[in-house]
Amino acid sequence: MSDQEKDPVTSSSLSKPLFIWSALLVLSMIWGLYDEVYGIRPWKGYQAKFEKLYSAYLKDLRTPEAQHEAQIKASPQYQQLDTAMRAEEARATPLAKVNTDKVNSLVPKIQALNDPFQEVRSHIGSLTYEIEITSPDRKDSLRKQIVELKAETRKVRIPGESEERVMNFDQMDQTLKGWKDEKAKALEDNVQILAKATSLRKQRDQYLSDRISAASTTTLDSVATSLNSFDIRIRQIHIKDIDLVDRCESCHLGTREPVVLTAAAMGGNEVFASHPNKELLQIHDPESFGCTPCHGGNGAALSSVEQAHGYNKYWLWPLSHKENIEAGCQQCHVKEIVTEMAPSLNEGREVFRLRGCTGCHRYEGFDREADEISSVNQQIHQDDQQKAEWAREIGFTETKANDPRISNDDARKLLAHANDLRVRSSGIDAQVEQLDRRSANLVREVKKVGPSLKEARMKLRKEWIPEWLKDPHKWREGTKMPTFRLADDDRKAIAAFIWQSGLKGQLDQQKPGDPVKGQEDFETRGCMACHSMGEGSQKQGGTFAANLSREGEKANYDYIVRWVHNPRQRTAPYCAFEKRDLTAQDYQNHGLPYVYDLDHDKCPNDGHVLQVQQMTPMPNLRLTEDEARDIASYLMTRKHDNATYEDASYMDDPKLVDKGREKVRFYGCAGCHEIAGLEDEQRIGTELTKEGSKPIERLDFALLGHKAEDEGWMTHKGFFEHKLENPAVFDEGKEKAPQDKLKMPNFNFSKPEIDEVTTLLEGSVDASVPPRYFYTPTPQQQDIVDGWWVVRKYNCMGCHKVHVGQTSIIDGLRRSQDPDWVEQKPPTLIGEGARVNPEWLMQFLNNPSLSETDTNRDGVRQYLHIRMPTFSFSEGEIRKLVRFFAALSSQAEPFIPEKIEAVSDQERTMARQLFTSEGAPCLKCHMDGDPAHDARATAPNFTVAKDRLQPGWVKRWILDPALMSPGTAMPSGLFRKDGDRWVFAGPTPASFNGYTKDQADLLVRYMFSFTPDELARLRAGAGK
Amino acid sequence: MKKIWITAGVACALTLTGCGGGGTPAPKADAGATPAASSGAATPDMENGATITGKVSFDGKAPVMKTLDMSAVPACTAAHKTPAKSEEVVVDDKGDVKNAFVWIKSGLPADKTWQVPTSAVQITQEGCMYTPHVLALMAGQNLDIKNGDPTNHNIHPMPANNPEFNQSQPPGAGDIDHSFARQEVMVPVKCNIHPWMRAYIGVVNHPFFAVTGDDGTYSIKGLPPGTYTIEMWQEKYGTQDQQITVGAKDSKTQDFTIKG
Repeated sequence: MSDQEKDPVTSSSLSKPLFIWSALLVLSMIWGLYDEVYGIRPWKGYQAKFEKLYSAYLKDLRTPEAQHEAQIKASPQYQQLDTAMRAEEARATPLAKVNTDKVNSLVPKIQALNDPFQEVRSHIGSLTYEIEITSPDRKDSLRKQIVELKAETRKVRIPGESEERVMNFDQMDQTLKGWKDEKAKALEDNVQILAKATSLRKQRDQYLSDRISAASTTTLDSVATSLNSFDIRIRQIHIKDIDLVDRCESCHLGTREPVVLTAAAMGGNEVFASHPNKELLQIHDPESFGCTPCHGGNGAALSSVEQAHGYNKYWLWPLSHKENIEAGCQQCHVKEIVTEMAPSLNEGREVFRLRGCTGCHRYEGFDREADEISSVNQQIHQDDQQKAEWAREIGFTETKANDPRISNDDARKLLAHANDLRVRSSGIDAQVEQLDRRSANLVREVKKVGPSLKEARMKLRKEWIPEWLKDPHKWREGTKMPTFRLADDDRKAIAAFIWQSGLKGQLDQQKPGDPVKGQEDFETRGCMACHSMGEGSQKQGGTFAANLSREGEKANYDYIVRWVHNPRQRTAPYCAFEKRDLTAQDYQNHGLPYVYDLDHDKCPNDGHVLQVQQMTPMPNLRLTEDEARDIASYLMTRKHDNATYEDASYMDDPKLVDKGREKVRFYGCAGCHEIAGLEDEQRIGTELTKEGSKPIERLDFALLGHKAEDEGWMTHKGFFEHKLENPAVFDEGKEKAPQDKLKMPNFNFSKPEIDEVTTLLEGSVDASVPPRYFYTPTPQQQDIVDGWWVVRKYNCMGCHKVHVGQTSIIDGLRRSQDPDWVEQKPPTLIGEGARVNPEWLMQFLNNPSLSETDTNRDGVRQYLHIRMPTFSFSEGEIRKLVRFFAALSSQAEPFIPEKIEAVSDQERTMARQLFTSEGAPCLKCHMDGDPAHDARATAPNFTVAKDRLQPGWVKRWILDPALMSPGTAMPSGLFRKDGDRWVFAGPTPASFNGYTKDQADLLVRYMFSFTPDELARLRAGAGK
Repeated sequence: MKKIWITAGVACALTLTGCGGGGTPAPKADAGATPAASSGAATPDMENGATITGKVSFDGKAPVMKTLDMSAVPACTAAHKTPAKSEEVVVDDKGDVKNAFVWIKSGLPADKTWQVPTSAVQITQEGCMYTPHVLALMAGQNLDIKNGDPTNHNIHPMPANNPEFNQSQPPGAGDIDHSFARQEVMVPVKCNIHPWMRAYIGVVNHPFFAVTGDDGTYSIKGLPPGTYTIEMWQEKYGTQDQQITVGAKDSKTQDFTIKG
């Protein structure tokens, strides 16, 4: 073998490896190109698919829409409008043409003359300017030049004229003005001539658009046309001030389409569906809000669904899941208890508040009263300091002023300054007075989630307490009280402590009531707006307060009578300053009777405001004692007959008290209950205001970390959901001493409740969005925000409709479905602010009986079985409610009543005759003061109208009540339009002949002059 | 290389187009609503269809109806020689139950629409009572409401699935026309001014229904062959269901008995 043959350069071929490598290179290039074009750009596929599906859908949509449109266009009404419009157009067009022709001939003439005219004018203008700035001796010569220029004639060719015109400046000016006026007049005339045709065309088009609910064929066509030029490109929103880039719409192409796209319409592809709430999108325009600030996710990522949605590891703000979609609302609407269009978040807040989460966990904004107490006290302290400072300054200033060495002028200035400070100081007194009142208010406003355990000994059956503590949910399904994981001896010690720390007050011994009547009262007076009754499928009523199906097993009858009669009655007043319940002796020491109520709420020892009421939101229904006995007797019949309770004599063992107290402290019971000696206990749980943005590593998944990671719930959502479902879950597998175990009790939340609370917590973040994203309410909107807290606190929505789309608990009761019971439902409060005079509303909220003596009634609707109770609102709460309703109805603050024209004697006679005529049904339904009639009445007495209502609302109401309150007993169609005025639709008395004013106005004015005497006269007129 | 590109291009194009296979479901009318267009609507076949007749009887002692207290409105009292009684349960000496509503509750083909009669059904307010007390009509059929009294009434149907309305009708005013778009059994009607006034309207998607007359009998004609649930409704005693199978030109009897 020669050397040459041995040489690998000549003997071996590299073509094979080269081929393989080049093939690999080509393949990797293809792969690279593919990946570049599609692999990392899945959105391209989405876009192509979207275009195809959308075009197909538009085609499908167009056919029925076009048919529907054709059907409407063929209808006689449309045809009539169309014919009328066409006839008018045919009449007007030739007339208009004369003018149009005139304008068309004038325009070139004006243009032709305008040029030479402007040339001279600008020349004159420049000469005039020169006169203004030149030396006086040159002015005259320049003026002369102008005169010459004006006199100079020019030849102008006007279109349509054979001869050139010779004109000087003034002639040109006059001619031009004349032509311009002529043109303007011709155009104006045309507007007049075509006015009717234009209005008829508008009417015809309106008729069509009123009858097409979906997109019109015109819209469909224009969308289809724009789809023809659909290009595949990244679609992004760039918000410069926060450097946000959201490319979500590169795949979610239907989000803002004018045609509403559902997943079904797009072949089941949810990704292409339109945003489900267009109104929400209008308020939060994506062009200025983007997508991810509300929804989470990684807006810039396009390489995969997982990345774009932020579900990859370490992305801090993943897209909110569907069930928690409203979490995003919370970050900017953090101060609200009710946010419009966020029902699930609102429910989450409500569960959080109502189930007592705030008893253990602080959440900024939820602890409104306590926070306000501290801010009010701080303000009072600051004011006192400021006053003292000014007093000192007044002293110094006056001393200085009295110094004989300073001038009179300076002395006067100093004395004036001292006086100014005095005046400002008196202003502080006024402010402190308000703050003191607010402070006293706040004592009244603070409520507890659970009942006072100070009353346990008087209210409860002893043996029931330890049984209840075992598992409250087993004893009463759905109760607010959670289940604590208590060892038996701890449970017994707690029961013993509660029993022995309870007050030993005197209760009147009550005679038995009538349980049958009691049941009727319970079901009709309004108890069920908050309480439910019955178990399982039989359960009906509200969830705001306890289910009372087993009340008879646990309660002491005498106590329940007292409670039903006045739930706010306390066994002893509590002095927060002395930190104890006062006794009769405290009052006796000061020679005072042992009387404590809202009118006697000062501590006899030190003058501090006392807690004189039970800290329950439960109001007083102003029932008679007999009624209270009946209801209590009924409740005592509600029990399981076979229930047994263990002997609980150990509860009297004093040795258990200390251990019991310690456990009660340990579990934070005082967060929800008033407990003797533990009134000032602090919360035991962690603050949750920013829990959603707590770093994930600080959420203790304990031994479940790996499992959570494997199963994909190593997220805030996963943590919250697992914790809410089973609060002990993160103790699993841990070796812990009992006192180290997780304390959070089990609330037995349902799946929707877990989702709702998770939504709230997920949204409880340190929002990274700029301040402009946050909801900054106007003063009127702030009134609404504040009012909702009060409305929710007292469960106004259990009885009333407060906002559109809501149903009350009363609406849903079986009895309310009976057509005969419909009028027994409480009034709707939608539009209340426009309906009532706010001053009246203040009085009514303060005392709904509107009487100091006859309180066993409703002040407005005495025929109702259900009763607006007395909530003992504080001044602050009344103010918030009144402003809330005013703001919801866009009423101006402060209120100034509308002036109404007094009725003349003749008008009064007419109105009287109408009121009592057979044709007018007013007094058939409205109360008239005759007890027999009023028992059957279904509407308020007219005598309260003047103080209670607003005239504008009354007129709107009587014209079409169903517009404001669909289903109301008040019929529509009482008036009909006659030209510009409303006239009574039925037969009117002869005295109305020749009356040309608005008859609805007349009745309103008459109503606002109504007195009890007038009513008596009407009754007499009707033969009563 | 070029071929690869072409293949790749074709593959990409196929991938893109292949994804767009999802069909678009045709818009479907809500099952309960009556379509606006009546094209293709059927009418009962009186010649070949089946007939169901029957009687609603009362077993036991019929309750005594209370006298209506119209004293608050003299115009109403004056219209009656003897005080009017409630019509909640109307049973004659033989036990025949008047004003029971009988209808084919289910069994008809769901996709079939039936011709809505062009004639209106009348309800009159006379002597501060509704005549008839129980009436029935097809969804979409006109209800003609008359006021024959010298006093003001308001007609207030309270449906659950149709829009509620409450219209004042003064004496001498023209008739009010109304129709219900959706099937609903039964729609209670009241007059808020005269709270004793009550009527019930059965609104049905098809023409196979009847209200028993004075003698307690009813008949439903032109029913296509099939197996049906036939339901009887009575204001106080609620509903009773029966299964019934009919062939072409069959005549069957289906009686109902209300136990007192």
